[in-house]
Amino acid sequence: MADPAEHREEEEEAAAAAAGEDEDTGAQVAPIVKLEEVAVTTGEEDEEVLLDMKSKLYRFDKEGNQWKERGTGTVKLLKHKETGKVRLVMRQAKTLKICANHLVATTTKMQEHAGSDKSCVWHALDFADGELKEEMFAIRFGSVENCKKFREMVEEIAEQQGKNEEKENEEVSSTAGLVEKLSVTETKKEENAEKEETPAEEDKKDAKE
Amino acid sequence: MALPNQGTVDYPSFKLVIVGDGGTGKTTFVKRHLTGEFEKKYEPTIGVEVHPLDFTTNCGKIRFYCWDTAGQEKFGGLRDGYYIHGQCAIIMFDVTSRLTYKNVPTWHRDLCRVCENIPIVLCGNKVDVKNRQVKAKQVTFHRKKNLQYYEISAKSNYNFEKPFLYLARKLAGDPNLHFVEAVALKPPEVPIDLAMQQQHEAELAAAAAQPLPDDDDDLIE
Repeated sequence: MADPAEHREEEEEAAAAAAGEDEDTGAQVAPIVKLEEVAVTTGEEDEEVLLDMKSKLYRFDKEGNQWKERGTGTVKLLKHKETGKVRLVMRQAKTLKICANHLVATTTKMQEHAGSDKSCVWHALDFADGELKEEMFAIRFGSVENCKKFREMVEEIAEQQGKNEEKENEEVSSTAGLVEKLSVTETKKEENAEKEETPAEEDKKDAKE
Repeated sequence: MALPNQGTVDYPSFKLVIVGDGGTGKTTFVKRHLTGEFEKKYEPTIGVEVHPLDFTTNCGKIRFYCWDTAGQEKFGGLRDGYYIHGQCAIIMFDVTSRLTYKNVPTWHRDLCRVCENIPIVLCGNKVDVKNRQVKAKQVTFHRKKNLQYYEISAKSNYNFEKPFLYLARKLAGDPNLHFVEAVALKPPEVPIDLAMQQQHEAELAAAAAQPLPDDDDDLIE
C-alpha cells in the first residue's frame, strides 16, 4: 500500500520542479545576435488536412536490420487544394521538425506490423531532409482504432490516386488523337501541292509542241 | 564569428559545449535530436564529436554546433581545449547517479575558466527511471551559480526541447522566441517502377517481422 505522506511529498516535489522550470534562474547575459520576427511558412498553406493524429514513427535501418525511432509527434495527411495530390507529413512534437514528408502514391500499400495491431508499415520515397530517399516506415498509434483509421484512409487515397491517373491517361490519349488529326491535315496540304504542280507540267508539254 | 572546421550557413549559428560525467546521456541526447533515435548502448565519446542541429523559430532558422565532449577522463583528448569560443553550454548529470551530480561543480568550474558569462543549462537526465537517486528538491547548484535547470529524459523526450529553447532565447535576448514548424517542401513526383515495387514489398514483409524497439505500453501523448 502506498504511503500517503510519501505520495504527497512526491506530488510536492513534482509541483516544485514544474514551478522551477518556468522560473529563469540563469544569469543575465548580453545577447549576441539580433533576430527579427519573420512570417512563418509551414509549406502546408495550399493544403487541406484530411487526417491529424498523434503517433510514433520508425524507420528501418537496413544495415542493422532493425527499426529505429524517427520521431514522436503528429502525422498529417494533406491534400493539395489545386492538384488533389495527397502527401503524408509527420512532425516531431515540441521542436516541430519534419520526420517524414512524402506523396501518397498509387503504389503506397500499408502492411500490418507483426508485433502490434496498433502499427503498420510501408515503403516511401521520403523528402524529409530535402532530398529523395528510399525508406521503410513503421508507425504506431495510441489505439487500434486510430491505426485502422489511418491505414484505411491511406489505402483509399492511394486507390483514388490510381483512378485519377487513369483519367489523366484518357485525357492524354484524347490529346494524342487531336495530334493525329493535325497530321492528317498536313498530309492534305501536301496533296494539294502535288495537284498544283500538274498544270505546270502540262504547260511544259504545250511549250514543247 | 568564424569557427574552425565548421561550414558556414546563412543564418545565425552558435557553438554549444556539452559536458558532464561519462554515461549521463550527452551523446544519447544529441542523437535523439539529430535522428530521432534513442541509443541504448553506451559507447564512450572519444575527444569530441561536433554535430550541427538546426531549429526553426518565429525569428527564422538557427543552428547549434553541438560539441559533444568526452565525459570519461581517459578519453578527454584536449579536454577544456574544446571549450574555446563556446557561446553556450549544457552540463549533464544523471539523476540515477549521485556521483554525477556531485561532479557538476567541477565541470562548471572548468567550463567557466574558459567561457566567461555564457548561458548555461544544467540538465538532470533519466527522470523516466523510477528509482532516481537525486531528487528534484536536492538539486540546488543552479541557484548558487545562476544556471537554468531542467529535468529531462532523452528516453521519453520529457523536456527534451527546453535546453535548446532556453539557450536560443538567451542568445537572442528574446524571452518570447519560440519554435515553429519547419517548412515542409513539396516532394517531387517520381515515375513508378513496377519491378522495384515488387522488391520493396518483399523487403517490407521481412521488415514487418522485426520488432519495434520500445515497449508497446509506451504512451503516445
